[in-house]
Amino acid sequence: MEPDPSKQHDYRPPPYQLTTWLLLGAALLLIVFLISLRTKHQPDTSRSYPSRALIADGEAVLLPPPPMNDEFVPCGDCHGAEEVPNPERRKLEEEHDAMKVAHGELWCLQCHDLHNREKLRLADGSLIAFEDSWQLCTQCHGKKLADWRAGVHGKRTGHWRGPKEYQPCVFCHNPHAPRFAPIAPKPPPVRPEQIVLNGSASEARAHDEAE
Amino acid sequence: MTKPSEKSEGPVRGASRREFLRTGAVAVGALAGAPGAAQALEFDLESFFQKNFRELSDEEIDDVVKRLSRRYSKQYGAEVSVHATGPMDGVLYGYGLDISRCIGCRRCVYACVDENNQSRDPQIHWIRVLEFEREAIVRGFDLEDGNPYYDHEQVPAADKIYLPVACQHCEESPCTNVCPTGATWREPDGIVVIDYDWCIGCRYCMASCPYGARHFNWTEPSIPAEEINPNMHLLGNRPRTAGVVEKCSFCIQRVRDGRYPACLEACPVGARKFGNLLDSDSEIRTLMRTKRTFVLKAELKTQPKFFYFYG
Repeated sequence: MEPDPSKQHDYRPPPYQLTTWLLLGAALLLIVFLISLRTKHQPDTSRSYPSRALIADGEAVLLPPPPMNDEFVPCGDCHGAEEVPNPERRKLEEEHDAMKVAHGELWCLQCHDLHNREKLRLADGSLIAFEDSWQLCTQCHGKKLADWRAGVHGKRTGHWRGPKEYQPCVFCHNPHAPRFAPIAPKPPPVRPEQIVLNGSASEARAHDEAE
Repeated sequence: MTKPSEKSEGPVRGASRREFLRTGAVAVGALAGAPGAAQALEFDLESFFQKNFRELSDEEIDDVVKRLSRRYSKQYGAEVSVHATGPMDGVLYGYGLDISRCIGCRRCVYACVDENNQSRDPQIHWIRVLEFEREAIVRGFDLEDGNPYYDHEQVPAADKIYLPVACQHCEESPCTNVCPTGATWREPDGIVVIDYDWCIGCRYCMASCPYGARHFNWTEPSIPAEEINPNMHLLGNRPRTAGVVEKCSFCIQRVRDGRYPACLEACPVGARKFGNLLDSDSEIRTLMRTKRTFVLKAELKTQPKFFYFYG
Protein backbone atom coordinates (compact mmCIF):
# COMPACT_ATOMS: atom_id res chain seq x y z
CA MET A 1 0.00 0.00 0.00
CA GLU A 2 1.20 3.49 -0.84
CA PRO A 3 1.92 5.79 2.04
CA ASP A 4 -0.45 8.67 2.50
CA PRO A 5 1.35 11.93 1.34
CA SER A 6 -0.74 14.12 3.61
CA LYS A 7 0.43 12.12 6.60
CA GLN A 8 4.07 12.76 5.66
CA HIS A 9 3.49 16.50 5.57
CA ASP A 10 1.83 16.39 8.90
CA TYR A 11 4.84 14.81 10.59
CA ARG A 12 5.90 16.60 13.74
CA PRO A 13 8.74 15.56 16.04
CA PRO A 14 7.51 14.09 19.28
CA PRO A 15 7.67 16.62 22.13
CA TYR A 16 10.40 14.82 24.07
CA GLN A 17 12.83 15.07 21.14
CA LEU A 18 12.30 18.84 20.93
CA THR A 19 13.08 19.20 24.63
CA THR A 20 16.28 17.20 24.19
CA TRP A 21 17.50 19.48 21.42
CA LEU A 22 16.60 22.58 23.37
CA LEU A 23 18.42 21.29 26.46
CA LEU A 24 21.50 20.32 24.45
CA GLY A 25 21.61 23.74 22.83
CA ALA A 26 21.30 25.48 26.18
CA ALA A 27 24.08 23.31 27.64
CA LEU A 28 26.32 24.13 24.68
CA LEU A 29 25.70 27.86 25.12
CA LEU A 30 26.47 27.56 28.81
CA ILE A 31 29.75 25.72 28.13
CA VAL A 32 30.81 28.34 25.58
CA PHE A 33 29.94 31.07 28.04
CA LEU A 34 31.90 29.43 30.85
CA ILE A 35 34.95 28.89 28.66
CA SER A 36 34.88 32.54 27.58
CA LEU A 37 34.70 33.55 31.24
CA ARG A 38 37.69 31.38 32.10
CA THR A 39 39.88 32.59 29.29
CA LYS A 40 39.25 36.17 30.33
CA HIS A 41 40.98 35.53 33.66
CA GLN A 42 43.95 33.73 32.18
CA PRO A 43 46.92 35.74 30.94
CA ASP A 44 47.20 35.85 27.21
CA THR A 45 50.37 33.86 26.75
CA SER A 46 50.27 33.99 22.95
CA ARG A 47 50.62 37.74 22.94
CA SER A 48 53.64 37.97 25.20
CA TYR A 49 55.54 35.42 23.13
CA PRO A 50 58.48 35.56 22.50
CA SER A 51 59.11 36.56 26.08
CA ARG A 52 61.78 39.19 26.57
CA ALA A 53 61.20 39.38 30.29
CA LEU A 54 64.23 38.10 32.16
CA ILE A 55 62.43 37.03 35.29
CA ALA A 56 58.82 36.01 35.74
CA ASP A 57 59.00 35.75 39.52
CA GLY A 58 57.11 38.61 41.14
CA GLU A 59 59.31 38.86 44.20
CA ALA A 60 62.57 39.15 42.29
CA VAL A 61 64.55 42.35 42.20
CA LEU A 62 66.77 42.72 39.16
CA LEU A 63 69.86 44.71 40.01
CA PRO A 64 70.86 47.26 37.38
CA PRO A 65 74.12 46.52 35.59
CA PRO A 66 77.15 48.03 37.31
CA PRO A 67 78.54 51.28 35.87
CA MET A 68 80.91 50.89 32.96
CA ASN A 69 84.53 50.51 33.99
CA ASP A 70 87.08 53.29 33.75
CA GLU A 71 88.52 52.17 30.41
CA PHE A 72 85.16 52.69 28.80
CA VAL A 73 84.90 55.69 26.52
CA PRO A 74 81.56 56.09 24.69
CA CYS A 75 82.12 55.70 20.90
CA GLY A 76 80.18 58.90 20.21
CA ASP A 77 82.81 60.95 22.07
CA CYS A 78 85.13 60.64 19.07
CA HIS A 79 83.01 59.36 16.19
CA GLY A 80 80.48 61.90 14.89
CA ALA A 81 77.15 60.87 13.44
CA GLU A 82 78.16 62.14 9.97
CA GLU A 83 81.22 59.85 9.85
CA VAL A 84 80.86 56.96 7.38
CA PRO A 85 81.59 53.74 9.35
CA ASN A 86 83.84 51.01 8.01
CA PRO A 87 82.18 47.59 8.42
CA GLU A 88 85.37 45.70 7.46
CA ARG A 89 86.60 43.24 10.10
CA ARG A 90 90.06 44.46 11.05
CA LYS A 91 92.44 44.90 13.89
CA LEU A 92 91.65 48.19 15.56
CA GLU A 93 94.67 50.34 16.28
CA GLU A 94 95.68 53.62 17.83
CA GLU A 95 92.97 54.75 20.23
CA HIS A 96 91.49 51.26 20.44
CA ASP A 97 94.63 49.63 21.84
CA ALA A 98 93.28 49.43 25.36
CA MET A 99 90.22 47.49 24.25
CA LYS A 100 91.11 43.84 24.72
CA VAL A 101 88.55 41.52 23.24
CA ALA A 102 88.91 37.96 24.48
CA HIS A 103 85.53 36.55 23.68
CA GLY A 104 85.82 33.70 21.23
CA GLU A 105 86.04 34.82 17.61
CA LEU A 106 83.81 37.80 18.11
CA TRP A 107 84.58 41.27 16.98
CA CYS A 108 82.81 44.61 17.55
CA LEU A 109 79.98 44.44 15.06
CA GLN A 110 78.65 41.07 16.18
CA CYS A 111 77.25 42.87 19.21
CA HIS A 112 77.51 46.61 18.52
CA ASP A 113 75.44 48.30 15.83
CA LEU A 114 77.38 49.78 12.95
CA HIS A 115 75.34 52.96 12.71
CA ASN A 116 73.92 53.51 16.16
CA ARG A 117 76.76 53.19 18.61
CA GLU A 118 74.52 53.76 21.62
CA LYS A 119 72.77 50.47 20.90
CA LEU A 120 73.51 46.77 20.78
CA ARG A 121 72.36 44.70 17.85
CA LEU A 122 70.68 41.30 18.12
CA ALA A 123 71.12 38.62 15.48
CA ASP A 124 67.65 39.37 14.13
CA GLY A 125 68.69 42.96 13.47
CA SER A 126 66.73 44.60 16.25
CA LEU A 127 68.49 47.17 18.42
CA ILE A 128 68.48 47.02 22.21
CA ALA A 129 69.77 49.27 24.97
CA PHE A 130 73.02 48.46 26.79
CA GLU A 131 70.97 47.80 29.93
CA ASP A 132 69.27 44.85 28.17
CA SER A 133 72.56 43.27 27.11
CA TRP A 134 71.55 39.89 28.60
CA GLN A 135 69.32 39.41 25.53
CA LEU A 136 72.40 39.62 23.37
CA CYS A 137 74.52 37.28 25.52
CA THR A 138 71.87 34.60 25.73
CA GLN A 139 71.53 34.34 21.96
CA CYS A 140 74.56 32.08 22.17
CA HIS A 141 74.56 31.15 25.86
CA GLY A 142 71.03 29.76 26.03
CA LYS A 143 71.93 26.98 28.45
CA LYS A 144 73.46 29.51 30.80
CA LEU A 145 70.23 31.50 30.68
CA ALA A 146 68.24 28.39 31.64
CA ASP A 147 70.66 27.73 34.51
CA TRP A 148 70.57 31.39 35.52
CA ARG A 149 66.78 31.43 35.59
CA ALA A 150 66.80 28.33 37.79
CA GLY A 151 69.35 29.96 40.09
CA VAL A 152 72.09 27.45 39.31
CA HIS A 153 74.28 29.83 37.29
CA GLY A 154 75.18 33.27 38.59
CA LYS A 155 74.67 34.87 41.92
CA ARG A 156 71.58 35.73 43.90
CA THR A 157 71.54 37.62 47.14
CA GLY A 158 68.87 38.34 49.71
CA HIS A 159 66.53 35.56 50.73
CA TRP A 160 66.43 31.88 49.81
CA ARG A 161 62.78 32.15 50.80
CA GLY A 162 61.58 35.66 50.01
CA PRO A 163 62.77 38.58 47.90
CA LYS A 164 66.11 38.13 46.19
CA GLU A 165 68.31 40.24 44.01
CA TYR A 166 69.28 38.85 40.64
CA GLN A 167 72.39 39.90 38.82
CA PRO A 168 72.36 39.90 35.03
CA CYS A 169 75.39 38.74 33.00
CA VAL A 170 77.46 41.93 32.89
CA PHE A 171 77.27 42.28 36.65
CA CYS A 172 79.99 39.65 36.94
CA HIS A 173 81.35 39.22 33.42
CA ASN A 174 83.14 41.79 31.32
CA PRO A 175 81.50 41.26 27.93
CA HIS A 176 84.79 41.96 26.11
CA ALA A 177 86.62 39.32 28.19
CA PRO A 178 84.02 37.22 29.97
CA ARG A 179 86.42 34.86 31.74
CA PHE A 180 87.02 36.06 35.29
CA ALA A 181 90.32 37.82 35.76
CA PRO A 182 92.47 36.29 38.54
CA ILE A 183 92.27 38.09 41.88
CA ALA A 184 94.41 38.20 45.01
CA PRO A 185 93.27 35.70 47.63
CA LYS A 186 92.63 36.64 51.26
CA PRO A 187 95.40 35.56 53.66
CA PRO A 188 95.84 31.84 54.37
CA PRO A 189 94.89 30.49 57.79
CA VAL A 190 97.47 30.45 60.57
CA ARG A 191 99.10 27.04 60.92
CA PRO A 192 98.23 25.35 64.22
CA GLU A 193 101.86 25.36 65.35
CA GLN A 194 102.01 29.13 64.84
CA ILE A 195 98.97 29.92 66.95
CA VAL A 196 100.05 31.64 70.13
CA LEU A 197 97.74 31.02 73.01
CA ASN A 198 97.28 33.81 75.46
CA GLY A 199 96.75 33.66 79.21
CA SER A 200 96.16 30.53 81.19
CA ALA A 201 95.98 28.05 78.32
CA SER A 202 99.52 28.72 77.13
CA GLU A 203 100.75 28.73 80.70
CA ALA A 204 99.11 25.37 81.19
CA ARG A 205 100.79 24.06 78.09
CA ALA A 206 104.17 25.40 79.21
CA HIS A 207 103.58 23.77 82.56
CA ASP A 208 102.76 20.45 80.88
CA GLU A 209 105.89 20.64 78.77
CA ALA A 210 108.04 21.43 81.78
CA GLU A 211 106.84 18.35 83.62
CA MET B 1 57.17 8.17 96.85
CA THR B 2 57.37 11.22 94.66
CA LYS B 3 54.82 13.95 94.72
CA PRO B 4 52.26 13.44 91.94
CA SER B 5 52.05 17.15 91.20
CA GLU B 6 55.80 17.55 90.78
CA LYS B 7 55.77 17.78 87.00
CA SER B 8 53.04 20.38 86.79
CA GLU B 9 54.95 22.53 89.22
CA GLY B 10 57.87 22.64 86.81
CA PRO B 11 57.82 26.29 85.68
CA VAL B 12 57.12 27.52 89.21
CA ARG B 13 60.00 25.51 90.57
CA GLY B 14 62.19 26.82 87.78
CA ALA B 15 61.27 30.39 88.63
CA SER B 16 61.90 29.92 92.31
CA ARG B 17 65.20 28.23 91.58
CA ARG B 18 66.28 31.19 89.49
CA GLU B 19 65.13 33.45 92.27
CA PHE B 20 67.19 31.41 94.70
CA LEU B 21 70.26 31.51 92.49
CA ARG B 22 69.98 35.27 92.08
CA THR B 23 69.60 35.83 95.79
CA GLY B 24 72.43 33.44 96.48
CA ALA B 25 74.66 35.20 94.00
CA VAL B 26 73.92 38.60 95.48
CA ALA B 27 74.65 37.22 98.93
CA VAL B 28 77.96 35.71 97.81
CA GLY B 29 78.83 38.92 96.01
CA ALA B 30 78.06 40.98 99.08
CA LEU B 31 80.24 38.65 101.15
CA ALA B 32 83.06 39.12 98.65
CA GLY B 33 82.59 42.85 99.06
CA ALA B 34 82.42 43.53 95.32
CA PRO B 35 79.04 44.74 93.99
CA GLY B 36 80.14 44.14 90.39
CA ALA B 37 81.00 40.54 91.15
CA ALA B 38 77.43 39.84 92.22
CA GLN B 39 76.16 40.71 88.74
CA ALA B 40 78.81 38.60 87.02
CA LEU B 41 78.29 35.70 89.38
CA GLU B 42 74.54 35.77 88.87
CA PHE B 43 75.03 35.29 85.15
CA ASP B 44 77.54 32.53 85.58
CA LEU B 45 75.41 30.65 88.06
CA GLU B 46 72.37 30.84 85.82
CA SER B 47 74.40 29.52 82.89
CA PHE B 48 75.87 26.83 85.09
CA PHE B 49 72.50 25.46 86.14
CA GLN B 50 70.90 25.96 82.73
CA LYS B 51 69.25 22.85 81.32
CA ASN B 52 70.12 21.42 77.92
CA PHE B 53 68.52 23.52 75.17
CA ARG B 54 66.25 20.68 74.16
CA GLU B 55 64.84 20.43 77.67
CA LEU B 56 64.14 24.13 78.06
CA SER B 57 60.55 25.33 77.94
CA ASP B 58 59.65 28.25 75.68
CA GLU B 59 59.65 30.60 78.68
CA GLU B 60 63.02 29.36 79.82
CA ILE B 61 64.46 29.86 76.34
CA ASP B 62 63.04 33.36 76.43
CA ASP B 63 64.81 33.97 79.75
CA VAL B 64 68.13 32.65 78.42
CA VAL B 65 67.87 34.71 75.26
CA LYS B 66 67.14 37.91 77.22
CA ARG B 67 69.93 37.24 79.69
CA LEU B 68 72.47 36.64 76.92
CA SER B 69 71.31 39.71 74.97
CA ARG B 70 71.91 41.81 78.09
CA ARG B 71 75.26 40.23 78.74
CA TYR B 72 76.63 40.59 75.19
CA SER B 73 75.22 44.11 74.79
CA LYS B 74 77.15 45.12 77.87
CA GLN B 75 80.28 43.18 76.93
CA TYR B 76 80.53 44.52 73.37
CA GLY B 77 78.82 47.90 73.81
CA ALA B 78 76.40 47.15 70.99
CA GLU B 79 72.68 46.53 70.67
CA VAL B 80 72.99 42.74 70.60
CA SER B 81 69.88 40.65 70.06
CA VAL B 82 70.20 36.94 70.69
CA HIS B 83 67.31 34.86 69.41
CA ALA B 84 66.41 31.20 69.23
CA THR B 85 64.30 31.05 66.08
CA GLY B 86 63.12 27.49 65.52
CA PRO B 87 63.09 25.43 62.31
CA MET B 88 60.48 26.03 59.58
CA ASP B 89 58.04 23.25 58.70
CA GLY B 90 58.76 21.33 55.51
CA VAL B 91 62.30 22.62 55.21
CA LEU B 92 65.51 20.59 54.99
CA TYR B 93 68.51 22.73 54.16
CA GLY B 94 70.94 21.77 51.46
CA TYR B 95 74.06 23.52 50.21
CA GLY B 96 75.58 23.32 46.76
CA LEU B 97 79.06 24.35 45.72
CA ASP B 98 80.21 24.56 42.10
CA ILE B 99 83.85 23.41 42.16
CA SER B 100 84.24 24.29 38.48
CA ARG B 101 83.68 27.95 39.44
CA CYS B 102 85.43 28.29 42.81
CA ILE B 103 88.67 30.26 42.39
CA GLY B 104 89.95 29.81 45.96
CA CYS B 105 89.87 33.51 46.87
CA ARG B 106 88.81 32.83 50.50
CA ARG B 107 86.23 35.64 50.47
CA CYS B 108 83.78 33.16 52.01
CA VAL B 109 86.17 32.31 54.84
CA TYR B 110 86.41 35.87 56.08
CA ALA B 111 82.74 36.68 55.46
CA CYS B 112 82.01 33.70 57.71
CA VAL B 113 84.39 34.96 60.40
CA ASP B 114 82.64 38.34 60.43
CA GLU B 115 79.11 36.96 60.32
CA ASN B 116 79.61 34.25 62.91
CA ASN B 117 81.74 36.08 65.47
CA GLN B 118 84.69 33.72 65.15
CA SER B 119 87.73 34.40 67.28
CA ARG B 120 90.27 36.61 65.50
CA ASP B 121 93.07 35.77 67.89
CA PRO B 122 93.65 32.90 68.24
CA GLN B 123 92.29 32.50 64.78
CA ILE B 124 89.34 30.20 64.08
CA HIS B 125 88.05 29.61 60.54
CA TRP B 126 84.94 27.52 60.01
CA ILE B 127 85.65 27.23 56.28
CA ARG B 128 88.89 25.76 54.98
CA VAL B 129 89.56 26.18 51.28
CA LEU B 130 91.64 23.22 50.16
CA GLU B 131 93.81 23.44 47.08
CA PHE B 132 94.26 20.33 44.94
CA GLU B 133 96.02 19.43 41.74
CA ARG B 134 93.53 19.76 38.95
CA GLU B 135 93.61 16.04 38.26
CA ALA B 136 91.87 15.48 41.61
CA ILE B 137 88.63 16.13 39.80
CA VAL B 138 89.20 12.87 37.91
CA ARG B 139 90.89 10.84 40.66
CA GLY B 140 88.61 12.02 43.43
CA PHE B 141 89.35 14.32 46.32
CA ASP B 142 91.40 12.87 49.14
CA LEU B 143 91.07 15.51 51.84
CA GLU B 144 94.53 14.58 53.14
CA ASP B 145 96.04 15.92 49.90
CA GLY B 146 94.30 19.27 50.15
CA ASN B 147 96.45 22.25 51.06
CA PRO B 148 94.65 25.04 52.96
CA TYR B 149 97.79 27.18 53.34
CA TYR B 150 98.36 28.10 49.67
CA ASP B 151 99.49 31.69 49.33
CA HIS B 152 99.62 32.78 45.71
CA GLU B 153 99.76 36.32 44.40
CA GLN B 154 96.65 35.62 42.43
CA VAL B 155 94.11 32.84 42.22
CA PRO B 156 93.13 30.59 40.60
CA ALA B 157 96.67 29.23 40.24
CA ALA B 158 97.44 27.24 37.11
CA ASP B 159 96.38 23.57 37.18
CA LYS B 160 94.84 23.85 40.64
CA ILE B 161 91.32 23.30 41.83
CA TYR B 162 89.75 24.51 45.05
CA LEU B 163 87.44 22.77 47.47
CA PRO B 164 86.02 24.79 50.37
CA VAL B 165 85.13 22.50 53.26
CA ALA B 166 83.04 23.32 56.33
CA CYS B 167 80.46 21.36 58.32
CA GLN B 168 78.67 18.98 55.96
CA HIS B 169 75.55 18.76 58.17
CA CYS B 170 75.41 14.98 57.90
CA GLU B 171 72.16 13.14 58.29
CA GLU B 172 74.06 10.33 60.05
CA SER B 173 76.35 12.68 61.92
CA PRO B 174 79.15 10.89 63.82
CA CYS B 175 79.77 13.99 65.93
CA THR B 176 76.32 14.01 67.51
CA ASN B 177 76.52 10.28 68.18
CA VAL B 178 79.69 10.52 70.25
CA CYS B 179 78.84 13.61 72.30
CA PRO B 180 78.70 12.43 75.93
CA THR B 181 76.55 15.34 77.15
CA GLY B 182 74.05 15.72 74.31
CA ALA B 183 75.46 19.16 73.62
CA THR B 184 75.27 18.71 69.85
CA TRP B 185 72.41 17.37 67.78
CA ARG B 186 70.71 17.59 64.41
CA GLU B 187 67.72 19.91 64.20
CA PRO B 188 64.57 18.98 62.21
CA ASP B 189 65.67 21.27 59.36
CA GLY B 190 68.96 19.38 59.08
CA ILE B 191 71.25 21.88 60.81
CA VAL B 192 73.71 20.27 63.24
CA VAL B 193 73.89 22.66 66.19
CA ILE B 194 75.83 22.99 69.44
CA ASP B 195 74.58 24.08 72.86
CA TYR B 196 77.72 25.90 73.99
CA ASP B 197 76.52 25.83 77.61
CA TRP B 198 76.49 22.04 77.55
CA CYS B 199 79.73 21.46 75.66
CA ILE B 200 82.37 20.19 78.09
CA GLY B 201 85.20 20.44 75.57
CA CYS B 202 86.04 16.74 75.42
CA ARG B 203 86.52 17.07 71.62
CA TYR B 204 85.20 13.60 70.88
CA CYS B 205 83.12 15.22 68.14
CA MET B 206 86.24 16.68 66.55
CA ALA B 207 87.88 13.26 66.54
CA SER B 208 84.83 11.67 64.97
CA CYS B 209 84.22 14.28 62.26
CA PRO B 210 85.57 12.93 58.95
CA TYR B 211 85.69 16.44 57.46
CA GLY B 212 87.67 18.32 60.12
CA ALA B 213 84.81 20.75 60.37
CA ARG B 214 84.83 21.31 64.13
CA HIS B 215 87.10 23.76 65.89
CA PHE B 216 88.09 24.11 69.51
CA ASN B 217 88.49 27.25 71.59
CA TRP B 218 91.79 26.54 73.31
CA THR B 219 91.54 29.87 75.03
CA GLU B 220 89.07 32.72 75.48
CA PRO B 221 88.18 33.88 71.94
CA SER B 222 88.71 37.53 71.11
CA ILE B 223 86.52 39.60 68.82
CA PRO B 224 86.97 43.38 68.49
CA ALA B 225 83.85 45.06 69.89
CA GLU B 226 83.39 47.11 66.71
CA GLU B 227 83.39 43.96 64.59
CA ILE B 228 80.76 42.04 66.54
CA ASN B 229 77.73 40.88 64.60
CA PRO B 230 74.82 41.80 66.88
CA ASN B 231 72.34 39.50 65.11
CA MET B 232 72.94 36.30 67.08
CA HIS B 233 71.36 32.89 67.37
CA LEU B 234 71.54 30.96 70.62
CA LEU B 235 72.71 27.82 68.78
CA GLY B 236 74.85 29.61 66.23
CA ASN B 237 77.00 32.70 66.15
CA ARG B 238 76.78 33.99 69.72
CA PRO B 239 80.27 34.45 71.17
CA ARG B 240 81.76 31.25 72.48
CA THR B 241 83.92 30.77 75.53
CA ALA B 242 87.17 28.96 76.12
CA GLY B 243 86.82 25.19 76.15
CA VAL B 244 83.92 24.74 73.74
CA VAL B 245 83.74 23.39 70.20
CA GLU B 246 82.24 25.38 67.34
CA LYS B 247 81.51 24.94 63.63
CA CYS B 248 79.44 26.08 60.67
CA SER B 249 75.69 26.30 61.37
CA PHE B 250 74.59 27.17 57.80
CA CYS B 251 74.28 30.70 59.26
CA ILE B 252 71.32 29.56 61.36
CA GLN B 253 70.69 33.18 62.41
CA ARG B 254 70.16 34.11 58.74
CA VAL B 255 68.65 31.06 57.05
CA ARG B 256 65.89 30.60 59.61
CA ASP B 257 64.82 34.14 58.72
CA GLY B 258 64.75 33.09 55.06
CA ARG B 259 68.06 34.73 54.15
CA TYR B 260 71.00 33.27 52.27
CA PRO B 261 74.13 32.29 54.25
CA ALA B 262 76.88 34.91 54.46
CA CYS B 263 79.44 32.84 52.51
CA LEU B 264 77.04 32.56 49.58
CA GLU B 265 76.59 36.32 49.39
CA ALA B 266 80.34 36.89 49.64
CA CYS B 267 81.29 34.56 46.77
CA PRO B 268 82.47 36.70 43.84
CA VAL B 269 81.91 33.96 41.24
CA GLY B 270 78.48 32.70 42.34
CA ALA B 271 79.77 29.21 43.10
CA ARG B 272 77.64 28.77 46.23
CA LYS B 273 73.99 27.70 46.19
CA PHE B 274 71.58 27.18 49.03
CA GLY B 275 67.98 26.14 49.45
CA ASN B 276 65.32 23.74 50.61
CA LEU B 277 65.91 20.09 49.68
CA LEU B 278 62.19 19.35 50.13
CA ASP B 279 61.18 21.87 47.45
CA SER B 280 61.65 20.30 44.03
CA ASP B 281 61.87 23.72 42.34
CA SER B 282 64.56 25.07 44.66
CA GLU B 283 68.00 26.02 43.40
CA ILE B 284 69.64 23.15 45.24
CA ARG B 285 67.22 20.54 43.87
CA THR B 286 67.53 21.92 40.35
CA LEU B 287 71.29 21.62 40.40
CA MET B 288 71.14 18.13 41.87
CA ARG B 289 68.87 17.18 38.98
CA THR B 290 70.82 18.86 36.19
CA LYS B 291 74.49 18.80 37.26
CA ARG B 292 77.04 16.18 38.22
CA THR B 293 76.81 16.17 41.99
CA PHE B 294 78.79 14.41 44.69
CA VAL B 295 79.36 14.46 48.43
CA LEU B 296 82.65 14.09 50.31
CA LYS B 297 83.52 10.65 51.67
CA ALA B 298 80.25 9.17 50.47
CA GLU B 299 81.58 5.73 51.44
CA LEU B 300 81.21 6.63 55.13
CA LYS B 301 77.45 6.92 54.65
CA THR B 302 77.28 10.07 56.70
CA GLN B 303 74.81 11.45 54.13
CA PRO B 304 76.02 15.05 54.05
CA LYS B 305 73.64 17.84 53.12
CA PHE B 306 76.51 19.72 51.50
CA PHE B 307 76.74 18.88 47.81
CA TYR B 308 79.59 19.65 45.44
CA PHE B 309 78.87 19.89 41.76
CA TYR B 310 80.42 20.89 38.47
CA GLY B 311 79.45 21.58 34.89
